Amino acid sequence: MYSKIIQDVLKKNNIKIGDFVRVKKDESVYEGMLMPRIELGDTSCLVIKLNNGYNIGLKFEKGVKIGKIKGGFEIAHKHKKVTKKIIFDKKLPTISIIGTGGTIASKVDYRTGGVYASFSPEDIAMQIPDLKKIANIKAEEVMNIMSEDMTPERWIETAKEVAQDVNAGYKGVIVTHGTDTLHYTAAALSFMLRDLPCPVVLVGTQRSSDRGSSDVVMNISCAANFVANSDVAEVCTVMHGTMEDDYCLAVRGTKVRKMHTSRRDAFRPINEQPLAKIYWKSRKIEIFNKNYRKRSDSKVKVDAKLNPKVALIKCHPGLDPEIFDFYLDKKYKGFVIEATGLGHTPTLGKYSLLPKVEKIVKLGLPVVITSQCLYGRVHPTLYHNLRELSRRGVIFAEDTLPEVALVKLMWILGHTRNLERIKKMMLTNYSGEINPRIEPKDFLV
Amino acid sequence: MDYKKLGLKCGLEIHRQLDTKSKLFCGCTTKMMEKKPVLIIKRKQHPVLSELSEIDVAAQYEYLKDKTFHYQVFNNESCLVETDSEPIHPLNQEALEIALQIALLMNCRIPEELHIMRKNLIDGSDVSGFQRTLIVGLNGYIEYYGKKVKITHVALEEDAASIVGEDEKNKTYKLNRLGVPLVEIGTGLLIGYTPEEIQEIAYLIGMTCRSTEKVKRGIGTVRQDVNVSIKNGARVEVKGVQELGLISKVIQLEVQRQMSVPRVKKEVRAANLDGTTKFTRPLPGAARMYPETDIPPIPIDKKMIQRIKKHLPESWIKKMKRFEKKLNLSEELTKQIIRSDYLDLFEKIVKKYRVNPSVVANVFVSTLKDLKKRENVRVEKLEDKDFEELFNLLKERKVMKEAIPEVLKYKVEHPDEPVIVGVKKLGLEVISDDELMRIVKEVIKKNKGQLEGKIIGFIMSRVRGRVKSENVVRIVKRLLK
Repeated sequence: MYSKIIQDVLKKNNIKIGDFVRVKKDESVYEGMLMPRIELGDTSCLVIKLNNGYNIGLKFEKGVKIGKIKGGFEIAHKHKKVTKKIIFDKKLPTISIIGTGGTIASKVDYRTGGVYASFSPEDIAMQIPDLKKIANIKAEEVMNIMSEDMTPERWIETAKEVAQDVNAGYKGVIVTHGTDTLHYTAAALSFMLRDLPCPVVLVGTQRSSDRGSSDVVMNISCAANFVANSDVAEVCTVMHGTMEDDYCLAVRGTKVRKMHTSRRDAFRPINEQPLAKIYWKSRKIEIFNKNYRKRSDSKVKVDAKLNPKVALIKCHPGLDPEIFDFYLDKKYKGFVIEATGLGHTPTLGKYSLLPKVEKIVKLGLPVVITSQCLYGRVHPTLYHNLRELSRRGVIFAEDTLPEVALVKLMWILGHTRNLERIKKMMLTNYSGEINPRIEPKDFLV
Repeated sequence: MDYKKLGLKCGLEIHRQLDTKSKLFCGCTTKMMEKKPVLIIKRKQHPVLSELSEIDVAAQYEYLKDKTFHYQVFNNESCLVETDSEPIHPLNQEALEIALQIALLMNCRIPEELHIMRKNLIDGSDVSGFQRTLIVGLNGYIEYYGKKVKITHVALEEDAASIVGEDEKNKTYKLNRLGVPLVEIGTGLLIGYTPEEIQEIAYLIGMTCRSTEKVKRGIGTVRQDVNVSIKNGARVEVKGVQELGLISKVIQLEVQRQMSVPRVKKEVRAANLDGTTKFTRPLPGAARMYPETDIPPIPIDKKMIQRIKKHLPESWIKKMKRFEKKLNLSEELTKQIIRSDYLDLFEKIVKKYRVNPSVVANVFVSTLKDLKKRENVRVEKLEDKDFEELFNLLKERKVMKEAIPEVLKYKVEHPDEPVIVGVKKLGLEVISDDELMRIVKEVIKKNKGQLEGKIIGFIMSRVRGRVKSENVVRIVKRLLK
């Protein structure tokens, strides 16, 4: 928004954003389109898009004159009515693309500099031309939120949308998602979608789709190929395998983690091999890990009972055990501790977590131990301190990732409050979240 | 050829790399010294849809080639930013200040807020698919012998990656040049000038940039684009003229080409080293630009501009006047030394050693060229300190100006010996007045009865390069009287 003074002058001169204007300032004349004031920067600077395409900011001070040359574009994106489905070839399988956020197709309006996301199948197909040879697509945006604004309620909503399409007979489903919490949603869908008969793949993009280098093209292309042609009936992510545009990795939804803030190959499998390598141009699918559910004719069931009152607490030197009292006051029903190393928490003096852990367990609430090392398994008895924790009834969650343990405990608490039953379920391998055999090659994959 | 009649219209876009410590949007060095890539990353690029759902001609053309881009990564010279794997860092302040200096030297207006734009490229030379560029100055001019040549804009931008190999399906780029700060200076339409004059204008712009002492020198650090059109023709953009001295030839040849083809098409052509051009792609439509959103606009406050203005280097016009009036250089010599790569050194030597400026200028603009041209002496091996020693010897009268070519030649061949050693070994030390008198008397005695001219000749053959020749003439004349 421009400053009040500028707004008044624009109004007085009947100038709208998008009009072509002439600005006189210090005996110099500038002509171009009046741009909307972007959120950052000085609101008393006029932003003018010059005829050569550049934007400049001119301070609106005493003596500056602005006049309208002619009316211009309306700087707003008009939503066209879009079709939901596009059939390229009746012989091809038809897949579903469900949007929750993040963009596949972007359109740049060079007249105004605006970038607009589009979720129409036509635009997706234009952005990713190989799709025509892979599958017919149905595309629908069910929500449009930033990854960091995802919530357990929205996981449920997403799960229901996916299930609907799976049971409607689509060959597979792609869910587009912002990348930051993509692996939480992947875990949530993994637990909630029971008896899955086909692949459900989460895809994000690390470099926005308005750039010629965006990873979205290969990611969606590989994902489409994977859901249309593989027999892996699992929830997984499909994202770049390396920094190059050569292949994507399909990684199990409970074993994947975002390990880099910005690289294309940020999504890595932890404690196991990726399920498959999907080559982009040759469209070859190479299975890496044979431990997966196969395609079937079953109908998926959404088991969407969740209790989000679970805390994830990271151990660190100086952690004040009183933090647990806060959560107890707020009626939290479960705790996942991201412990150090093999599963340690402080046990000495005023920093010892043991009294709190004991209190929580006595209240009949679960305490789950995972490791902030991420790689490797926690161990209940190796050291004295571990034994002290173990004796108090905490649940050592094997090699389950901390975030996955959080989601799993929410899901379990949606089903039972019985501590023994919770413990049993926590140690049951529902969706590949526990790998009973970690091999040497499973580190830093 | 009468270019006025032909209706020659040209526009210049001059690019110069800035000699900053780090790149425009990351901490990598701008040195470009590494030879071996440590990694090669293969990538594809795709067209970006525009609001009209029409991928413009140029972009589509490139896309259809279905290329794989191979990016060579170099230690210290490329990081995650160049590989489009990390968002850009804040704008390099050193580069911004140099660009503002150049804009102010060209009498530009500086916007109060600078907006970084993304200019879409689809030839793969920028890993992200676009080049970042921002206007730092507008509506300026430079003076060209009393006329004002309009400078439409001065932009600061990131250099693209340099291409090192290409075949039908692959293009290989080095990432060390990507992100090096570059200024782009655009002129208004130049109408009524000859190709030579347009080249001269390009020189002046180059000199203005160089006066900041913060632009890179040498091959590949300067690139010019020239738009050429004649009456009834179409605008043709010739890209990448690497040498200033080629501009007039490029224009002449392009005019000839346009006259010889029946229908001139709007297109982009690349300059070859001999001044001819080759077709590269159709001319893209209006600039495909949209705002960079990773970092906010950059406010420019008045205090910053005032501070930069206070420390602006001397303009080339003032410098020319000073050279002619204060240093007593001829107009021709002034023009030559101002264009020379040795300009900075020339000024330093004249100031420090107080030797005759014309002598110093002549060494730089003609002696070195002659040595290179006639005797193929590799004068580029001479370092600044060698010239300093030489002119110090001249100042202390240990060597005569006539001896300079021989001494420089010796120095190139014996780079480890100080200049003075060469002077001694060549027997070119200055002869004292007493010694000269002794030699003159001896020669006169031996050649009694010979003509004055002959005797002077005999003497000169013994003392050439070691005394002032007018001294020999004066003494001989006096003794023969």
